[in-house]
Amino acid sequence: METRASRRHLDANDLEAILGVTQKLAAPFDLSTMLTEVVAAAKQVLDAERGSVWLYEADSDELVMEVATGIAPVRIPCGTGLAGACARSRSIINVPDCYADPRFDSRIDRATGYRTRCMLTLPLVDHNNVLVGVMQVLNKRGGAFDADDEALAAALAAQCAVALQRVRMTGALIEGEKMRQALEMAREVQMSTLPVAMPVLDGYDIGTAFRPAELTGGDTYDVSRVDGDVVLVLGDATGHGIAPALSVTQMQAMLRLAFAMGADLATAFVHVNNRLADTLADDRFITAFVGMLDPASHRLRFHSGGQGPILHYVASRDAFDRHGPTSFPLGAMPLASLPAPTELAMAPGDILLVLSDGFYEQVDPDDACFGEARVCEIVRAARNAPSAAIIDALLRGIDAFAAGADQQDDMTAVVVRRAARVEARFARDFASLAALVAFAEDAFARLAIDPSLRTPVDLALEELFTNMVKYGTGSRADVTVAMAAIDGGVEVTMIDRDVAAFDPTRAPPVDVEAPIEARKPGGLGVHLVRRMADSVEYEYNSESRESRITLRYTRHGRAAAGAALGDGGADVRD
Amino acid sequence: MGERMFAIERDAQGAVVASGRLDAAEAPKAQAFLDGVSGIVTLDLAALDYVSSAGLGVLLKTQKRLMASGGRLRLVGLSPHLRDIFVYSGFDRLFEIVPAG
Repeated sequence: METRASRRHLDANDLEAILGVTQKLAAPFDLSTMLTEVVAAAKQVLDAERGSVWLYEADSDELVMEVATGIAPVRIPCGTGLAGACARSRSIINVPDCYADPRFDSRIDRATGYRTRCMLTLPLVDHNNVLVGVMQVLNKRGGAFDADDEALAAALAAQCAVALQRVRMTGALIEGEKMRQALEMAREVQMSTLPVAMPVLDGYDIGTAFRPAELTGGDTYDVSRVDGDVVLVLGDATGHGIAPALSVTQMQAMLRLAFAMGADLATAFVHVNNRLADTLADDRFITAFVGMLDPASHRLRFHSGGQGPILHYVASRDAFDRHGPTSFPLGAMPLASLPAPTELAMAPGDILLVLSDGFYEQVDPDDACFGEARVCEIVRAARNAPSAAIIDALLRGIDAFAAGADQQDDMTAVVVRRAARVEARFARDFASLAALVAFAEDAFARLAIDPSLRTPVDLALEELFTNMVKYGTGSRADVTVAMAAIDGGVEVTMIDRDVAAFDPTRAPPVDVEAPIEARKPGGLGVHLVRRMADSVEYEYNSESRESRITLRYTRHGRAAAGAALGDGGADVRD
Repeated sequence: MGERMFAIERDAQGAVVASGRLDAAEAPKAQAFLDGVSGIVTLDLAALDYVSSAGLGVLLKTQKRLMASGGRLRLVGLSPHLRDIFVYSGFDRLFEIVPAG
């Protein structure tokens, strides 16, 4: 007999009983207490001997009995037995004689020794029409369940369903919140150990980035000064979640301590590895780069435990060297000794790139990887920008590539760039001209500057240096000349000390249209310098009596304009 | 850019050929050679890598001297780099520059 409920008007006593139960069910019980309360309420309101609740698990499409007095949890596929039939039909099933109904499963009776006579099976459906479970009420005292009981049970079931669903959702929220808090704490620990500021190094700039993935990845980095050297660390622990975040933090702390206590590169690497091998779980390890830069000799040595590729942009060749690991990942197993570290020379304009997997392995919406070639392309285009700008360019490139695809892993970068700048001092003598030419030749090669800019640069060096020698006769100071690679060209700086001001940007103009009788060589040099540079700036410090001329040349600028001649003067202040 | 020593000499056809870098250090050598020429002189600059204002001064002085007696310098083989310098300095107006051909 299957019937739709609530045919009957509830009487005052029934209503009171249900309201009492409803009030009780509003309390913030945990799930098992709530189930006990629901069963107790049903037994009371329906005057039944026993009751039980099956909870519906949507994922497995099963009914699970969490509570039934004296009976262990049981799972049944939805659709089997009376409970399953009720879950499918979402209708009350009232069976006056269970052993006469083929859907009745007597195994529970056999297991408990209890004999079920009659049974009311009720769907528990919440306000959103979501099936929460099935309630069964057994053995009405003094008879079978009637239509009044069905109506009463239906009203009760609605209340129970809402109460149970509320508890289940709250439980899920609490679990989620606990996990979120734990992750956040791990993340906070991880972040708190990252260096706040980069060491300031003459002739170098160091940039770092840490862009966490949504789920905690296990990346860290460190840049710190130890005596004259700079220690560079990047680590990436396997897996996601709290454990890798904490183990990589532990690794970073141990390395810091080892270096602070005077350990050399190999000793620090081996000891930290061995300690991690002892403490990390057997299936865990940390890929790590540990390097030391000596900014005086420009020598950079590193060990890489499974961290790679390590990319070295070599400015003079305008190409990347690619270095693999020197050892297996930290903590994978104990190390007795290490091969020699990889050693590189950082020349002007060179860039060392240590990037975590998160960069190379970022995918686009079609699951293609960002990859090494794109990294190299972006870095090469930004090679004359500071490290921080190189990293920004990489992150922008990654975002454009990902086109909204999720970031799967932490992205961590340590980028070291030696300034693309060379400098030399020249004795105040015409005889230094040959050395100036040699210097320019070397600088152009080392900084990979466009050779088409050599002529105007050579001209500026000769003309301005010659003027300095001619007019700075009171000074014995050397003249300093520096060249720096800039986007698409070169910046040349000439510093003359202990001299009176001579501003080439304000030198009297040369009348290039004068007839030959009126033409004199004087002033022509400065005129040409101004015309051939993209820009010329002059600064004079009257206290130190220092003149500083800064010239810029680019391949798309005036110096290489070639055919497009005859348009105005150089960008000078005159 | 290969750096060549500055050199200046007559070729078999009687043209004066200058090559290498004509900078302040080499200007006196160029001046000494050009002080010895007369009439209409073809100066082949195809192998000249570089010239500064000191070199331009040598050419200007020579041009003035030759013009006073009805002669002049005819410049041939100017590279784009040299051409820029001649144009920027207005020297393209003072010399006959024979186009490459």
